[in-house]
Amino acid sequence: MTTIVLENNDYKKEIKQKTAKPLLWIGLVSIVMFFAGLTSAVIVSKGTAVWESIQIPSAFAISTVFILLSSLTFYLGENSLKNNNIARAKIFILATLILGLLFSITQYLAWTELYKNGVVWAGSESSAAGSYFYALTALHLLHLLGGLISLLVVSFKSMKERYNEENLLGVQLSSTYWHFLTALWVYLYLFLIFIA
Amino acid sequence: MVALVAIVAVLLIVISAVQTLKIAELWAINKGKVIYEVTQKQNKVQALLMLVFLVAYFAFFAWQVWKWGDLMLPVSASEHGVVTDRLLNITYAFIIPVFVITHIFLFWFAYKYAYNPNRKATFFSHSNKLELVWTIIPSIALTVLILFGLSSWNEIMTPVDSEKEHVLIEVQAQQFSWSARYAGADGKLGRAGVEFIEGVNAMGVDIKDKNSKDDKIVRGEIHLPVGIPVQFVFRSIDVIHSAYMPHFRAQMNCVPGVKTQFNFVPTITTEEMKKITNNEDFNYILLCNKICGAAHYNMQMDIIVESKEDYEKWLAEQKQFAEN
Amino acid sequence: MSATHHHHEEQDFLFKYIFSQDHKMISKQFLITGFLMGFIGMVMSTLFRLQLGFPGESFWAIDFFLGSWAENGVMAPDKYLALVTMHGTIMVFFLLTAGLSGTFSNLLIPLQIGARDMASGFLNMLSYWFFFVSSVIMLISLGVEGGAASAGWTIYPPLSALPQAIPGSGLGMTLWLVAMAIFIASSLLGSLNYIVTILNLRTKGMTMTRLPLTIWAFLVTAILGVLSFPVLLSAALLLIFDRSFGTSFYLSDIYIGGQVLEHSGGSPILFEHLFWFLGHPEVYIVLLPALGITSEIVSTMSRKPIFGYRAMVTSILAIAFLSVIVWGHHMFVTGMNPFLGAVFTFTTLLIAIPSAVKVFNYITTLWKGNIIFSPAMLFSIGLVSTFISGGVTGLILGDSALDINIHDTYFVVGHFHIVMGLSAIFGMFAGVYHWFPKMFGRMMNNTLGFFHFWITIVCAYGVFFPMHFLGLAGVPRRYYTNSEFPLFENMIDINELVTWFAIVAAFAQLLFVFNFFYSALRGPRSSQNPWRANSLEWTAPVEHIHGNWPGEIPEVHRWAYDYSKVDENGEYISGEDFISQVVPLGPNEKDGGH
Ligand code: HEM
Ligand SMILES: [Cu+2]
Ligand SMILES: [Cu+2]
Repeated sequence: MTTIVLENNDYKKEIKQKTAKPLLWIGLVSIVMFFAGLTSAVIVSKGTAVWESIQIPSAFAISTVFILLSSLTFYLGENSLKNNNIARAKIFILATLILGLLFSITQYLAWTELYKNGVVWAGSESSAAGSYFYALTALHLLHLLGGLISLLVVSFKSMKERYNEENLLGVQLSSTYWHFLTALWVYLYLFLIFIA
Repeated sequence: MVALVAIVAVLLIVISAVQTLKIAELWAINKGKVIYEVTQKQNKVQALLMLVFLVAYFAFFAWQVWKWGDLMLPVSASEHGVVTDRLLNITYAFIIPVFVITHIFLFWFAYKYAYNPNRKATFFSHSNKLELVWTIIPSIALTVLILFGLSSWNEIMTPVDSEKEHVLIEVQAQQFSWSARYAGADGKLGRAGVEFIEGVNAMGVDIKDKNSKDDKIVRGEIHLPVGIPVQFVFRSIDVIHSAYMPHFRAQMNCVPGVKTQFNFVPTITTEEMKKITNNEDFNYILLCNKICGAAHYNMQMDIIVESKEDYEKWLAEQKQFAEN
Repeated sequence: MSATHHHHEEQDFLFKYIFSQDHKMISKQFLITGFLMGFIGMVMSTLFRLQLGFPGESFWAIDFFLGSWAENGVMAPDKYLALVTMHGTIMVFFLLTAGLSGTFSNLLIPLQIGARDMASGFLNMLSYWFFFVSSVIMLISLGVEGGAASAGWTIYPPLSALPQAIPGSGLGMTLWLVAMAIFIASSLLGSLNYIVTILNLRTKGMTMTRLPLTIWAFLVTAILGVLSFPVLLSAALLLIFDRSFGTSFYLSDIYIGGQVLEHSGGSPILFEHLFWFLGHPEVYIVLLPALGITSEIVSTMSRKPIFGYRAMVTSILAIAFLSVIVWGHHMFVTGMNPFLGAVFTFTTLLIAIPSAVKVFNYITTLWKGNIIFSPAMLFSIGLVSTFISGGVTGLILGDSALDINIHDTYFVVGHFHIVMGLSAIFGMFAGVYHWFPKMFGRMMNNTLGFFHFWITIVCAYGVFFPMHFLGLAGVPRRYYTNSEFPLFENMIDINELVTWFAIVAAFAQLLFVFNFFYSALRGPRSSQNPWRANSLEWTAPVEHIHGNWPGEIPEVHRWAYDYSKVDENGEYISGEDFISQVVPLGPNEKDGGH
């Protein structure tokens, strides 16, 4: 069978413009369901097994501040792009990247704090409660890694001044995902406080 | 060599099939009018086959009931089982007619309305009335089934009142055997856990617990008194098993780390059941009904239901835990 | 070809056939891979049926296929379980989830809604390749040390977590989990695409209420997938942690192999909850596309509109909604709170209502039709039959009081094979016969199709109907043999009969395989609209082109079911017994069957 290529191959671009955002949104729904599965697992476990109480590491509070700030800077950066203020946008996007990295570092610090308090991830000393603490935060961080990579790309492109008020799709996708991660973290943080 | 012959044979079959198909296609084109890619003749044959299938399907169903009806489980040997068997029959009385009638409509319509060039299909796209009817009728029937089902369920699942006379038995599952522990004279089971398993103490009973002294551990078979409620507690020490006692319409999973329970009142002794089933070798059994490893298919224990006196005599012969 | 198009013969083979981003090619890739997996799953079932029908007897075929798993041609008991597990996994996920949805969602969504392609061709391609890699890993796991996963397709821990409990829970289970994680990624990528494409890329005039029922089914299926597969992923992940890192999410109080394990505080029941939160919607993920396909075919081949379009859509939605709140019916005898059991019984039995509505609507569609028995139509009618036959027994299983005694018996095996296995596979066959001309531009052979259908349905009932009787006699499922129990002595006849039917059924599938490949290469060329159907895919040219339609995408003016529509004088409005969706409404005509 012969394959004929349409002369007008522009439909790919048009489809992308139309569907990139909905694709991301539905992807986010699946991530929500993933964490919903995990957090309801916690609730079921809490109801059936002996539940060890755990002290929330203070570093988690600092993480929370960092990630909230990073969302703010990303928002400002995106706005600056919209207003075609490229120079300002660059600064804000870089700031976001740095705050994102700081968040990751404080997560690591929180784990060491947990470990010092005798909460271990696995083995005979571990409890389901402790393992959930590590698992939930680590899986969030894994998703954040994706966010950081997209931020790197966005930072790089904004350095090269590839974005402008007309061409924002990449930034918008990245920022939506980033804000989602912030919200997810806040949810997880509150949830951890609740189950601790 | 065998492989070679097989390959050649398959090749020959494929080639001859290709040839036959080619000829058949030429034939079909020459023969009769083609409607929507299917010849009239083919269409008629298929319509007829619809009817033939309908009859054959029902015949097959009836044949199975006739042939294998006797192989089904005998009358329930527990009190609640009589109720659930009745519920099962009520459900049959609902679903078998539904099955039969819908199939008749399905295949009869298919036969009756086979393509006819002189007729037009009726443009009939919806009817609120009809749709309402067949939403409401199943709803009513279901309400009956649900109400009856739930009341039986609640009754079955209520544990035996500990004040009343009853027998308390703990059943422990492990790959691939069952053991049981009777509560003894105090009517209480002593503590048990995997951490106490050692040597002969295969059920991991805590020796220090005073309730465990008079517990009686048995293997191979358990005895139950007829007419007295039996409260089972189930444990597993390795993977999930399921304690299935089909004659008593009883089943409960055995889950490591969790205690589950089930209770029933045996109503027919083993001897009586031998007569009912006309089988001298009949024995009640407990078998494993949750995939649990290589020998899952052979994990069984006999159950003997007898009069209260016989049961008490048997129990008295069993050793107390403290004696081991 | 007209002058506005130019040939791209030089187009890279690699990108045309292998890394294609064109939905039509990806659809074929899914079909072929899915069928291949299905074939393997079927061979497995024939082999373990041999063991069940003739326990302990030596067979050349078992020796040939299983080699070291079967000494002297008799399979080992734990390898029996490995086969059952892989059979179930392959059939449910690889054949009937990826194979069915992947093929027909990909083929039909853009073509039936009037889109040039999927929302993201790249993600779509990725979806296929994840599926492919996952299939390969699953097959590789058959050959590893200790054998493939053997804990049943539901992989309940602790059995699936402890290699001490069964050899298949070693490397085999690890690979199973890895393969499934990749599979889930594939399925999610597919679902994202299907949903967004349907919601965003419909052509002008294609309102939601004009969508063919296939598309509604695919949409709801994809939504169910997005909601439930991530939960399976979370369940699998926790299992991976327990197995490989020593956490205790699912494990507690275990004494095995002469020692007490370190794990404590976990709950195996938690896994069951998480698993069945996917597991039950999964059966509708398997079933709904088949129901969608049948709706389309029953209407087209009866030359009548589908009866009760809105009721059909509503019942798809109702089934989907209910399907996520019934998972507990798989757990009635796990010791769950009896009140919870009661709730699950209630929600489960409710599903019977929308299901019954669908059945009645199918039957009414046949009534006063003008039916053409193409092989696709035969399989569609077969689906309605299996859906009824398997559905009614669901009322028994869904009733907690009755389930106590038949849970995990062969009654269950009979029930779900008929209602889910047969229905879905019939839907899939129907789809292939019907849309084969759309996929390959050629027709399949009818005569072979007729034989294929009749042998298949007879043998399928011959295999699965007797299983109900086994179950009612108390025979548990997942038993290597029933010969260890005096109680089951008389069952051997039933088992033998079933095995004979299974063997014939398996060979009958060769008719299909042959027909498929023969017709793809040599079949008569099809016209553009061989079934004279209304939906949009038949307005696209027979030759596959990127972008689906040369020039503009056609605009839609009516629903897809204007068959045999007549005017006041009883004459066909269009002069023929069908009116394509692209034909504008006449002055006095109402849309949507009013
Ligand atoms: C060739 C036709 C088929 C035959 C003869 C067949 C036979 C069987 C049998 C006898 C079992 C039960 C084994 C046992 O419990 O010991 C089984 C299990 C199963 N089959 Fe099939 N089957 C066939 C096709 C299918 C299809 C199309 C599906 C798709 C839904 C399917 C899905 C399953 C599943 C999910 C299980 C349960 C596996 C488990 O217990 O873990 N089978 N099959
Ligand atoms: Cu067992
Ligand atoms: Cu279910």
